[in-house]
Amino acid sequence: MRELQTWMHDAIVAPLPPPADDVARRILPSRTLAPNERLDIYRDMYAIRMEEALEVDYPAVAALLGHHDFHHLVHAYVQRHPSTSYTLNRLGDAFSQFIAETMPRRRALYDLARLELAMTQVFDEEESPLIDANAIAAVPAESVASMRLVPIRALRLLSFDYPANDLFQRFRDDEPMRTPRRKPTWLAIHRRDYSVMRLPLESRAFAMLELIHGGATLGAAVVEFASRFDGPPRQDELFAWFRDWTAAGLFTAIEIEGT
Amino acid sequence: MNRFGYPDLGIGLGLRTTHYSNILGNRPPVGWFEALSENYLDTGGRPAFVLDKIAEQYPVVLHGVSMSIGGTDPLDFDYLRKLKALAKRVNARWISDHLCWTGVAGRNAHDLLPLPYDEPTLRHCIERVRIISDFLEQPLVIENPSSYVEFAQTTMSEWEFIARLANEADCGLLLDVNNIYVSAFNHSFDANEYIDAMPEDRIVQIHLAGHTNHGTHIIDTHTGHVIDEVWSLYADACRRFGDVSTMVEWDADIPEFDVVFAEALKAAAYRSDVREVACA
Ligand SMILES: [Fe+2]
Repeated sequence: MRELQTWMHDAIVAPLPPPADDVARRILPSRTLAPNERLDIYRDMYAIRMEEALEVDYPAVAALLGHHDFHHLVHAYVQRHPSTSYTLNRLGDAFSQFIAETMPRRRALYDLARLELAMTQVFDEEESPLIDANAIAAVPAESVASMRLVPIRALRLLSFDYPANDLFQRFRDDEPMRTPRRKPTWLAIHRRDYSVMRLPLESRAFAMLELIHGGATLGAAVVEFASRFDGPPRQDELFAWFRDWTAAGLFTAIEIEGT
Repeated sequence: MNRFGYPDLGIGLGLRTTHYSNILGNRPPVGWFEALSENYLDTGGRPAFVLDKIAEQYPVVLHGVSMSIGGTDPLDFDYLRKLKALAKRVNARWISDHLCWTGVAGRNAHDLLPLPYDEPTLRHCIERVRIISDFLEQPLVIENPSSYVEFAQTTMSEWEFIARLANEADCGLLLDVNNIYVSAFNHSFDANEYIDAMPEDRIVQIHLAGHTNHGTHIIDTHTGHVIDEVWSLYADACRRFGDVSTMVEWDADIPEFDVVFAEALKAAAYRSDVREVACA
């Protein structure tokens, strides 16, 4: 049994089919099909299934590459990273890394793949309750520096070398996809009311949110921010960020360090 | 009625993403929904939310593709644990999977791969089905697959294999009438003989579906309407097994909800026609 299954699995996933006489020793012909033609049904369906699964997770990558190149990329990818999970949802986990390794000059494509991976992760994360709109304002002044804002599970922060979010939006709007010019961009990907949202950020806001996401208290985040940007964030700037992020539903709890 | 007391839920549908809003918004009079287990196991997002809502309003059945009953890798108890927890959460009326294997040596082809029908394979499947049913604390329900190859080492018919598996592993059967038609075409056997050989007290559920006929072979694509020949086999199944929970699988080029529902309602008409003739 084991031997037959190992043989058949290899025969289905390998780039080339096994020799016809090898197939004929194990598989019977039908009225209309030779043994190797019958096996080819499984080989073809495997290739289609892998491509469809990755296209579900990476539709914009597929659109940017075009059908032909995407097909070849998927084919090479599943040879190197075959599914080892009971779910196809994990199949594309190494896809962006694979793009980086095998197409090192396609940096915009890599950024787009990272964005799409984050979207699928955020889609499936556990739901978190949200803090109240006034919760931060209600923190006593003496505790603000030691306040730690706990982010929701369904949040990913990504910085890109290319405007990946604009590129993804072009895909969503059904506009022609072409590789954009290099330009650093920053994005929060999060879920609100079970919908995946993309929140573009400028570099200062991104840096602050990333520090908080990493578990820093507000006081520690401000100190670290100041060392990176030659000074702390302005009061009004900080106020606007936290107002926007709370409204977007990025935080699930407030903890005060030492209590 | 099957021997397990699994209820006749009437006519159901497969729960598909494209129909979520229609179902939640309009509450169509569907008897029950069959959810694809793997779509709901590792998510705390919208799929989980929707399934929980639907389970509040309709009976739900879990249908999986990953048990690899005929596989030779160890059973995946991480998967089975999650499946059991999900079944409990949504009060699944039963859990089904396919007579097949899905991969080997930790690699998954994500297909319902065919088994040779011989004595060692039968013993292997019986043992695994018993372990799974014990672990899930309920009799597993097994579906007959569509297949495109037959193995040289096969020594018995698929219907003999399935009937013996069901009896000896003490499990239920999900009879996919379209799969019988597809495999009968691909392997030149008599579909009626297959249905006649099924142990009637183990039939828990019936699947219907469309397929794609390539002339030389048929692929079980779950697309398009159920063809007349399959409806006629369904009528035979109804005559033989009585009222059994039935649903239509439509998974590719999925049309509007009403189109799929209308297809399922045809099954209701077949069921009542058969009942009327039987009573007359
Ligand atoms: Fe089926």
